[in-house]
Parts: sequence; structure tokens; C-alpha cells
Amino acid sequence: MADYLTALGTLMQPMNFIMMYICTVVGAILGAIPGLSGGLGITLILPMTFAMSTELSFSMLVGMYVGGVSGSFIAAVLVGIPGSGASIATCYDGYPMTKKGKAGKALSIGITASFLGTFISIIVATLCSTYIADIALKLGPWEYFSLCLMAITMVVGLSNGSVFKGMIAAFLGLFFACVGTDSVTNQMRFTFDNYNLFGGINVVCLLMGTFALQQVATSYAKGEQEMPKVDSQGLSGLGLTLKDFKDNFRVICVSMLIGLWIGFLPGMGSGISNIIAYGQAKKMSKHPELFGTGVDEGVWATEVANNAGVGGAIIPMISLGIPGDSTTVLLMSAMTIHGLQPGPMFIQTNPVLADLIFATVLISAIAIFITELLTKKFFPLLLRAPYHYLYSAILVIAFMGAFSATTSMFSVYLVLFFGLVGVIMDFFGLPMTPLMLAFILGGKIESYFRMGVSYGKGDYSLFFTRPISLIFIIITIYSLFGPLVRKVLKARKAKTA
Amino acid sequence: MPPGISQKGDGHMKKINRTYVMGVFTLIVAALIGYGTSKVPEMLVSNEPGPRLFPYISAIGLAVFAVLSMIFDGPGEDNKPYLDHAGYIRLIVIMAECLAFAVFMNLIGFWITGVAGLFAFIWTLKGDKKINVAVCLIFCIVLSSICYFGFTRGFNIPLPKGSIWESVGISMI
Repeated sequence: MADYLTALGTLMQPMNFIMMYICTVVGAILGAIPGLSGGLGITLILPMTFAMSTELSFSMLVGMYVGGVSGSFIAAVLVGIPGSGASIATCYDGYPMTKKGKAGKALSIGITASFLGTFISIIVATLCSTYIADIALKLGPWEYFSLCLMAITMVVGLSNGSVFKGMIAAFLGLFFACVGTDSVTNQMRFTFDNYNLFGGINVVCLLMGTFALQQVATSYAKGEQEMPKVDSQGLSGLGLTLKDFKDNFRVICVSMLIGLWIGFLPGMGSGISNIIAYGQAKKMSKHPELFGTGVDEGVWATEVANNAGVGGAIIPMISLGIPGDSTTVLLMSAMTIHGLQPGPMFIQTNPVLADLIFATVLISAIAIFITELLTKKFFPLLLRAPYHYLYSAILVIAFMGAFSATTSMFSVYLVLFFGLVGVIMDFFGLPMTPLMLAFILGGKIESYFRMGVSYGKGDYSLFFTRPISLIFIIITIYSLFGPLVRKVLKARKAKTA
Repeated sequence: MPPGISQKGDGHMKKINRTYVMGVFTLIVAALIGYGTSKVPEMLVSNEPGPRLFPYISAIGLAVFAVLSMIFDGPGEDNKPYLDHAGYIRLIVIMAECLAFAVFMNLIGFWITGVAGLFAFIWTLKGDKKINVAVCLIFCIVLSSICYFGFTRGFNIPLPKGSIWESVGISMI
């Protein structure tokens, strides 16, 4: 406790606090712009921190991280394009809410859910960091493989429409994830001798193509050129009532746990937790058929889960020296640059700095919550911009964002390609979410599977004989075939009746 | 009449069952992935499934679920047209503009393409609405400049300067 108070005192020093606040706000702005993220902000300020004190450096870096995740819901809610992978599922109900004239409510939920997710998860992380880390050490590639598989099939099973079409989209995503250099044998797969593909397909290109370009092109082609009307309700104050919290209490709790758990698993970040939490919220809902039409639970679930991933990802970083997501990789690099050794001994050797990281997440979450509440009324100004101005700007920013991800023109052409893929998928009625999730998880699924087989000396049965892995596989089979069996039984019942 | 194509009541317009078309299209994609995978050099490492396994799984998965979708989803397809004739033309126009934007971004650089491209996008997306050309031009110049200088000077991220200018030794901004 004494260490925590010391860390808090250090953070509240004017210079540290002001820089942390600025970085948090900049992170939120970067997170809100499609194609950019808090990770970019950390990359940009990392060289500046070389000459700074460790405390100031981490106040800034962690602030940027929290702001980046928190701000990503804004574009998802207002224009239906996720600021980053962390808010993919926020589009599904956030944007329909905006279209229904409930942008104020959707923004209020986004702001509050983001705050709750980060705030509670970091308290859990501060208190339970070492205990939870012990559990992670017991999981192997078999469990991680089964978990990834479960995540994809859960989303497919719960997606609207046909399970078969969902699976086609998922296998397409898996194929795109296979493009590039094979991590084990270094063989090139589907690279066509193009060096731009040696490292695989950049996720930003896929996001910009399948969301930004596809959405602009299809909405224009379908003649949907009216901007949603902005409500004036919920644009001042918190914009939520006690009933909103009471009605969504279960969703908040479950999404919190999902976000914490996924964030805590190495290599899995907010990009995955928001989709799984959305699927789970839909499964728990009394009216799952309304999901995708603008229901509050959809936004609560995704925004609580992706922000809870912040606390979750900090746990393995601090306790084990394993990054929870791509942004914590950058934070760990910063630790190394500052002469620190992330790993199981980090808390013991640097107790104040460890607590400073926890405290910075906590204070940044409060700071960005208050800032977003105070500036919320300005967000919908974006929607008052004429459709042709806003969507044209989105197209240009999408191309620019893709180029900046790799500083290569090839990324821009990839955006075009994935835009075309998105239009074709929309034409055929194939859902986009399974493709995205399978693409994000595809590399992990393959490497965990191959690691599992390799560690088991060619024994495939370990995926089924290890209890936790088996549980995940059973849930996988249930989520895939459960809806199908129910459909067949229902049809048979109707026939006999 | 072949499966997947049905005659509309008035006898003039043919409608296609998009699920059947999707199924056939997916089967072709799966075959191409399977063929491409067979060309990946197999490097045998002891107790390791190799680099071909997951692409093969993708191809087989695509093929299996395409067939299942045609069997189970196909008959229930409502055959509602995706777009009307004018909609397809609008789709082609906007995609062609995006392609042109990408090509010119490489040739003449981001800043000029940003201004011209933004103007072209706004002109296309406005439809029948009237716009003030001067305001539109100012918007295009200001936004492109903010993006260009924000990225190149603020974030230190280079944006294309234009291969044409570079080849003749002209430095654009």
C-alpha cells in the first residue's frame, strides 16, 4: 500500500500529471481516427522518452495506451467505422443506434462502458496480478488453440443468418491469415514473390478495405446518402439513468470478465475480446434477434470488454514479462530501453514503478472519462457534416492510414482489394465478423496447433485429453452445431404439429 | 432452366439465386487455394504438420460449407436484387475513382491527389445535391494539407511524394 501511495504521489506531480493527461487525450484522438491507434502514439513518443525519467516516461506511455483504447468507439458509433480492431463489434449496434437518432445515448454508453472496463479491470489487476499469472503459466498451446477455435465458432454460431455462410467467411479469413512466410519452416505461402506479402497481410488494410471502403461504396450504390439525425438527448451530463446500469448489470459483469481474461492471455487483445463479449451478450439476451438493430447491450458488452482488456493485458506484462497485446509489446520495449527487466521479478525489484503503471491506468481512465463527458456534445458535430464531405474524407483518411501502416503503396492497393472483397461478400450475404476474427486469430491458431503437435511429439490426442482444452472444444462443437440442431428440431416439430 | 436462375413473373427479367452463385464462386476459390497450396514447397520437420496444412484446411472448409450452404440456404433464398441497374453503375464509378486515387497517389503524390481526389469523391457522392464549388475546393485543400503536413511533419510518417516528380528531380513540398 505504501508503494502504491508513493507511486500515486509521483504521478500527481504537476509535470507527470500534465504530460500523462496530454498523452491520454492525444491517444483518444488517435484511437478515434480509423487506421490510427494508441500504439502509433506510443511508437511516436517512445524516442522522446529516452532522455526522460522512467516515471515521466511511463506516465506518458501508459496514458497514451489507455486513451487509444478508450477513444476507438467514437468513430464506430458515429460513422460505423471502427477506430481500431478494439471496436469492430461496437459498430454492430452503436452505429444502428446513431441511425435511429440515439447517437447521444450510444456515446454515453461508450464513454461510461470504457471507463468502467478500464477502472474495474485495473483494480483487479492491481490486487490479483500475481495470483492470476500463476493460472496462465499452467496453460499450454493446446488450450490456446482450443480457445481461439472456440472464439471463432462462437461468433459464427451467434451471427445473424446462415451458420454455413459464417463458416465460409471464417475459412476465408483463415486463408488470408496464411498468406506470408510460414513461421516454422520459412516457406513462402501465396506471396507470388512479392516482398510486400512476405510479412503477411496487414490488419489495417483489411479493416480499411472491408469496413471503410466497402461501407462508402455500398451505401452510395444503394442510394443511402442521408446522414443519421443527431438527438439532443443524452448529450449533456452522463446521459444514462440508474435503470440503464441495472438493466445491463449482467452484461457489464460478464463482458468485464471476458475482457479481463482475453486481455490477460498472451497475444490476445481487445480486438478479440470485444467480438467475443458481443457474441456472449447476444447469447444471454432475452431478445437476441434485436442485436444488430441498435440495442444498448451490444455497445455495453463490446466497450466494457475491450477496455477491460487493458487491465487484463497489464497483468502478464507486469507479472510474467509476457505481452498481453500488441501495444503492451511496445510498453515492454520501453521498459527494456529504460534498463528494466520485465518478468516475474519485476514487481519485487521495482515495486513503485509497477504500482505507478497501475496508478497511471487508473488516473488516465478517470481523466479521459471526465474529458469525454465534457466534450461529448461536440462529437455529433461530425454527423452534421454533409454526407458527401464526411464520406469523402473517410475514404482519403482510410487510404492514408493504410499507407502509413507500412509506408508502402502496396497497402493502398490491398485496401482496394479488400474493399472489393467486402462488396462481393455483401453481395453474397456473407458476414464480415467471422472473416475479421478468423484473420486476427488465424496466425495464432496455426502456431498454437503446430506447437501443440510438436510439443506432443506428433500426438494429436492432447487437444482432447487436457481438461481445459477439451472444455473449449466441447463449447466449440456446441456453438457450431447447437443452433443447427435446434433449427432442425424446430422444423421437425413444426412438421409433426 | 439451370439451377440458380429463375424467371420472373413478367417474363422479362431473370433473377439469380445469389446463394447458388456464391456456392459455385466459393468452390472455384477453394480449388484455386488448393492448387496454390500444392505448389508450396513441403519442408518436412519431425512431428510438425508443415506449412500446407492450414491452407488445405481453409480450402476444404470453404468447399464443404459452400456445398452445405447451397443445399440448406439455397432453396430459402428470397432472390431480392442486390442493387438496381443505376446502383451497379454507381458502385463501378466509386470503385473506379478509388482505383484512380490509389494510382495517382503513387504517380503525383499524396497532396495533389488528396485535393483532386477529395474533390472528385465529393462531386460523385453529392448525387443531385448542389454544392458551392469554392467552399468545396477550400475544404479539399485544407483537409489534404492538414493530413499531409500532420503526418509528414507532425508524426514523421512519410506520405507518397509522387514518382513522376522524383524521377525528374522535382521536390514537391
